[in-house]
Amino acid sequence: MKYFLVQILPYFTVALFLGGIVWRIWRWMIARIVHNITLSPFPSNWVAAILWILWQMVFFWNVLKFDPWLWVGAWPMHVALFSILGGHVLGIYTLGTQFHLLFPWLITEAQSEHASEFLGTFFGIIFFVALVYLLVRRLTLTRMKVLSSTSDYLHLLLLLAISGVGNYMRLVEGAGVTYAEARTFLAGLFTFNPQPFPDNWFFFTHFLLVQLLMIVFPFSKLMHSFGIMWERWIVNRPYKEAPLGLPGVKLRLD
Amino acid sequence: MPLVDGLNQPVKAGPKEFEGLHLVPVPDEEKPAEALKWLDYYRKERRSLVMAMESCVKCGLCAEHCHTYLGTKDPNNIPAGRADLMRKVYKRYFTVQGKLFGKLVGAEEISMRTLEEWFSYYYQCTECRRCGHVCPFGIDTCEVTMIGRQILYNIGMIPKLHAATDVAILRTGNHMALTPSGIVDTLDFLSDEIEEERGFRIEFPVDKPNSDILYVPSSADFFLNPDTLKGAAEFFEYIGANWTISTRITEAGNFGYLSDQTRVQRELVNRVWEEVARLGVKKVVWGECGHGWRAAKMYIPTMSDYPTRMRVPITHILDEVAAYIKAGKLKLNPKNNFRAQGLPVTLHDPCNYARACGLVENLRVDLYASVTEVREMNPNREKTFCCGGGSGVLFDDPEMYQLRIKFSQKKADMIRATGAKVLCAPCSICKAQFHAMIPEHKLDVKLYGLIDLVGAALDFKGHRQV
Ligand code: HEM
Ligand code: SF4
Ligand code: SF4
Ligand code: SF4
Repeated sequence: MKYFLVQILPYFTVALFLGGIVWRIWRWMIARIVHNITLSPFPSNWVAAILWILWQMVFFWNVLKFDPWLWVGAWPMHVALFSILGGHVLGIYTLGTQFHLLFPWLITEAQSEHASEFLGTFFGIIFFVALVYLLVRRLTLTRMKVLSSTSDYLHLLLLLAISGVGNYMRLVEGAGVTYAEARTFLAGLFTFNPQPFPDNWFFFTHFLLVQLLMIVFPFSKLMHSFGIMWERWIVNRPYKEAPLGLPGVKLRLD
Repeated sequence: MPLVDGLNQPVKAGPKEFEGLHLVPVPDEEKPAEALKWLDYYRKERRSLVMAMESCVKCGLCAEHCHTYLGTKDPNNIPAGRADLMRKVYKRYFTVQGKLFGKLVGAEEISMRTLEEWFSYYYQCTECRRCGHVCPFGIDTCEVTMIGRQILYNIGMIPKLHAATDVAILRTGNHMALTPSGIVDTLDFLSDEIEEERGFRIEFPVDKPNSDILYVPSSADFFLNPDTLKGAAEFFEYIGANWTISTRITEAGNFGYLSDQTRVQRELVNRVWEEVARLGVKKVVWGECGHGWRAAKMYIPTMSDYPTRMRVPITHILDEVAAYIKAGKLKLNPKNNFRAQGLPVTLHDPCNYARACGLVENLRVDLYASVTEVREMNPNREKTFCCGGGSGVLFDDPEMYQLRIKFSQKKADMIRATGAKVLCAPCSICKAQFHAMIPEHKLDVKLYGLIDLVGAALDFKGHRQV
């Protein structure tokens, strides 16, 4: 059973994750943008429109502007999330030497490992705390209670569980696995050359929950990460104004 | 029939209106299934609907930014809650998670009750797009409302007010069922009034062949806002325009856009081009109406079947006036403004101008040049709050009327805070709403459109007639 969950299921998970995302986006693309329903003030051209969309995505500008108290939790949560994702890829692939590889003249391997360690812990804690904040917000504010379905809480709980186990492995001496152990196993998966799974129940749980997240992702509101681009493509687009000046008048504009 | 299953609802249309609309309503027991078919159709047709259905994270940010929720504290009036009335059905039938997990992800079967809820809450949304403006993803609940209303229309659930107005559109080309003789009579009377006010007469050319400019006024102006018509005439007279009003399209608004975009909205679109061809018009100039200007500016290009070579540019009168003011071509005398009379004026930014048409700064160009004192509301421009009557929710049945008062509470507070004595609302539906709401909120303001105030400040001395 365990063998299935760690050596075989991951392939299905990845297929479902990538396939699901493509399928969802394909479904969005079937429908047309029938009328130009851009929100004004209109961007003057496509470059301006795309910059505006990126600005919104990077800073959660509307959240900051219209609900700062939400931003306090939402933005750090997402920044930490993406840092952690990046950290997982780079840290495991380079065994924590990513900063050394980037700036070899500046940072030694040991320093890089320390930095990787520190940043991982830092963002791990931010992520967890911000998620707790968002959950409490959802559980207490009237407007959030009436809007939420069970799944909205479950998404937060799932992320909390993943990061909870992750943080535990990091913070408790000897509870986790080393980058090298994880890398050996993952390399085995990527190269279709199964390697033994590290003998650690926390790591097993962490690995399983992430798979669950990846399976749920394409079939949930988490698709908002792509949705934001497709939605804003509709409502943030340029519009060409008709020229002013009236024909056949005695008092002409020019 | 204001309360159905505890839901506030406007009175529904009956056989008489259906006949006028050539609409065969679906029998009640078949309505849910039929509505579902339409939802399936629109999800494959309108990307704005799919994206609204599929990208909301329920962050709740939009709640405190919708005047209908602020006024009623009804969860279904939270933009995301309003969209959820449709989303729960959408999830149940068109998503994997909804089919598998149902209630857990907020999915629900469709029933007659669902449709009654749609009818109640899609006619409480004023399609003001404030939610679209504030949502981090740009989710525009106005799009959900529009599709919701369209589906309801298709199966025969229409407010009597909208259906009757739609019938008038198909028959006469305007909301108020004005007839050509009625139009000529009113305009003749307004010419008399101008003569009394100014000492010289300004004519309103009607259906004049070989006109360069077709002016499209709101039909409500003929009853409620004569000064708006007069202001436009004063402007056209001042610049010596060869202009006309057509009796076949005396409507700057478009109730079709608010209830049936497939046929009724198109009727008014087509009438514009027919009249352009008939009267030899070179440019169409639109009158004051928020949703109407949006329907014209943003929808006519993609909705009309007319060949491009038969089309002419369409612009808004307030944009044209601003161009004249910027070029320094109009002599405006704010002190002699006989409509504003030197009183402090506040400007209501109609949401459709502000968030859908990019008509914000030009309003200010026009207003600041025409009156002595302007007091801006807060928030204004793109952040403006709706008057509470938008999208034609101008219902008179008691429960809906009470809601109109609640929806306009936020705006009333904002107006009061400025201390202004004149309220300038350059939109026909805003005006209709304010005419009723100024007394309800005991506001001490006089109501005008914007071209009214421009016209009254125009200094004709040494110019043409005087
Ligand atoms: C480009 C990528 C993304 C953008 C721009 C983005 C943006 C947002 C925004 C604006 C919110 C609303 C504010 C809030 O409630 O926190 C939100 C909520 C949320 N996002 Fe993202 N997001 C992205 C990617 C992701 C990813 C990859 C995940 C998880 C795997 C995620 C998980 C969540 C969750 C769980 C919420 C709801 C928080 C709550 O319940 O209050 N997001 N996102
Ligand atoms: S602001 Fe947007 S994402 Fe947030 S609840 Fe409202 S519609 Fe949904
Ligand atoms: S369009 Fe306006 S009234 Fe309708 S849900 Fe959005 S904010 Fe509320
Ligand atoms: S009636 Fe006026 S304020 Fe209200 S939605 Fe229309 S334009 Fe906006």
